[in-house]
Amino acid sequence: MTPGELGRGDPLDRAVPRRRGPAGLGRLDFLLRTRGALGLTATAVPALFFVPLGIVLGPHVLDVLSLNTLAHLDAVVSVALATLGIFVGLALDLRSPRERRLFWAADVESLVTIGTVAGAMLVLLAMWQAPIDGPLVSVALALGIAASASSGGAAAADGNVFHRLASHIAELDDVVPIAATGFVIVAIQGSTVTDIIRFAAFTVLLGILIGVAGWLLFEQAHDVAEQGVFVVGAVVLLGGTTAYLSLSPLLAGMVAGMVWRNAPGRAGQILGDTLRTIQHPLIVLLLLASGASLEWSRLAIWLFAPFVLFRITGKLLGARVARRLAAPLEAADLGVYLLPPGVIGIAFALNVQQVASPITGSALLTAVTVGTLACELLALVELPRAEETA
Amino acid sequence: MRRAIALVIIVGAVLLVRDQGAGLRTAALAIGFALIAAALVGDLFEHLRLPRVSGYLIFGMVCGPYLADIISRSMARELQVVNGLAIALIAFMAGLEINFSRLKPRLVAIAQLGGATLLVLYVGLLAVFWSAWPWLPIAPEATGLARLALASVLTIVVASFSPTVTIAVLSDTRSRGPLSELTLAVVVLADLALILSFTFVMQLVHWSLGGAAAGEVGLVPRVMWEIVGSLAFGAAIGACFALYLRHVGRELTLVLLGLCVILSGLGPRLDFEPLLAALAAGLVVENIAGAGGEALSDAVERGARPVLVVFFAAAGASLHLDALAAIGGIALAVSGLRLALILGGTHLGARWARVAAEYGRLVWMGLVSQAGVTLGLTIIIASEYPTWGARIEVLLVALISIHELIGPVLFKWALARRGEIGKMDAQDEGMVGVSA
Repeated sequence: MTPGELGRGDPLDRAVPRRRGPAGLGRLDFLLRTRGALGLTATAVPALFFVPLGIVLGPHVLDVLSLNTLAHLDAVVSVALATLGIFVGLALDLRSPRERRLFWAADVESLVTIGTVAGAMLVLLAMWQAPIDGPLVSVALALGIAASASSGGAAAADGNVFHRLASHIAELDDVVPIAATGFVIVAIQGSTVTDIIRFAAFTVLLGILIGVAGWLLFEQAHDVAEQGVFVVGAVVLLGGTTAYLSLSPLLAGMVAGMVWRNAPGRAGQILGDTLRTIQHPLIVLLLLASGASLEWSRLAIWLFAPFVLFRITGKLLGARVARRLAAPLEAADLGVYLLPPGVIGIAFALNVQQVASPITGSALLTAVTVGTLACELLALVELPRAEETA
Repeated sequence: MRRAIALVIIVGAVLLVRDQGAGLRTAALAIGFALIAAALVGDLFEHLRLPRVSGYLIFGMVCGPYLADIISRSMARELQVVNGLAIALIAFMAGLEINFSRLKPRLVAIAQLGGATLLVLYVGLLAVFWSAWPWLPIAPEATGLARLALASVLTIVVASFSPTVTIAVLSDTRSRGPLSELTLAVVVLADLALILSFTFVMQLVHWSLGGAAAGEVGLVPRVMWEIVGSLAFGAAIGACFALYLRHVGRELTLVLLGLCVILSGLGPRLDFEPLLAALAAGLVVENIAGAGGEALSDAVERGARPVLVVFFAAAGASLHLDALAAIGGIALAVSGLRLALILGGTHLGARWARVAAEYGRLVWMGLVSQAGVTLGLTIIIASEYPTWGARIEVLLVALISIHELIGPVLFKWALARRGEIGKMDAQDEGMVGVSA
């Protein structure tokens, strides 16, 4: 999921009328549908444009984003991760029975995907005796989490009720993986079980504390500029506190987002309005940083193909199970709509790279980022086909 | 009450986090904490009729490594990542505030006032430093031309003002009026003179100490490149921004911050002075391209507030209270001398320029502050001459600590006295009262 898709279609997608022409032109039209947060007409999917751009600007090619610059961007990446988490938390509305049903369907789907990818990867890594210098289970789980996020904004834009349902499930299926990041980010650093539970709980506590502080301040601001200071301060603090302790900014952000979503008053709306002005550059920086940080190791190349394969398998399996809770969707349709991964997977992989050992972190980031691009390309081909048959 | 509870929660959360372990990645933690907590303290100062800027500074000082240590040394260092951006933004705002068509009838008067003030400061400080050189803890062994060169370089940096604090106080208090404009114009003029004279004096130091490197670029081309190049670079960036403003006009806050990142990041790589370049950019937008109206002022207001909060909180956290304690007596004496000379200089200058007495009497209060520019110059001296340069740095850091704390309070008091606070949005009022 990308922030532009939260709760409503991307304005640009609504502005680009849906073509009903020959299949070839239909596919071109699909390329104009951003499905992303960036609002750029020329970009089909932000990751497909900005990750390669990051590679070109990175230390291996032009060195504009040098290692030193990337180190400086570390703080921005943490803030971007917290922002993504906040958007997921803000979009989580479980008041109606329909929403709760879809939420459970999305949870089941993401759990099946995480289980499939993590289980298969664990077996594979153990068989290969891959040179991974971290807890194998945590690495496999991290790959599972990175695989389980989906993006579905394009479908939401066309007005078709099936597409909207599928898109909504794609939005909601980020909640479980983000919750799991709280544990996996600590576990991948080789912590004990007690520490994993303690720090995951601490991440939630931080989200609640900063959420409550923000709620107390946002509506009390004397003017828009002060409101901006409080909002940006709260978001940066979420990224900062978690970065300081090498915790998950995604989880802290999601918890804070849920606090703001459910707190009395207009905190959620103020936050959403303010963050919308900074989300685009943050996402762009995040994607550029991931592209520039890619390291083409043998381990990364080994992980890439199984990651894509297991992700597709997991999504199709997950969609089959979730369909029972989210009728009238067809399992095949739902599975195809869940294929585009969006940016959450890449964001989480960047978070892993920040805290894990260099070899494992880089390999995982490279495999997940390239795998995400592959899945996005696959979705570009498969989604129009599914739309035509819908 | 809600603000107090929020502040307690934020401070508690940060203490809790720091209690869990010593993390290496401190930048976002420091910035996030400073943004919220310093803004709240600034608001409290506003209620006490003190400048918000002082609140940000005091917050940084109290929470900084020398007192409460909530902001550790590494966090204080990380906070300074915004310095370049803040200085460029503040200079850009200064440029936006200087409208030549409005100032034209008073340019001569402003030049006379600024020139007289600087002359009195330079002559007075140089005379005292030259005479008292053997007792100053810098390089008492220096004699002859070397002593003159070292005393000159100390004079230039001690005499410098702070466009950063001036603009920050004006922006924060939404002040506009004759005193605001007069002070700003004098500070900007003095900053130009400072850059010029610093470049010349450093060349004199190189020459007198026999340290000029072979093949070094000559003095005139170097100064030309730094001054004219900076102005041209800034003007080009300003023109691009003006075009964007006219033809696109979206996401102005972000584009403005991006522009300041370019000015502060790219400028120094090309040996340009970011402050001068940003000032030129602002001048072009205001005077040649025409101001962007409400959209631009909204963008500036939104972009400037968080940057200023972090910048001044960082400055407060970095105040070397140990240096102030060690060299406090001499620093207080130099500070007293500087204040007296500023007062005398502005008094003479105001009479010469025939500035109305009610403004001429108060303008010195806007010239007391010292901050980023002064510190930047002292860092240059210390890095080029680690022995005596480092001693100058200690003295200047102590002086900056004093002037950074009292300067904003004095300036706000003067603005309040002339009733200019909160007038930024009002249309042109009567400008500097120059009697015929």
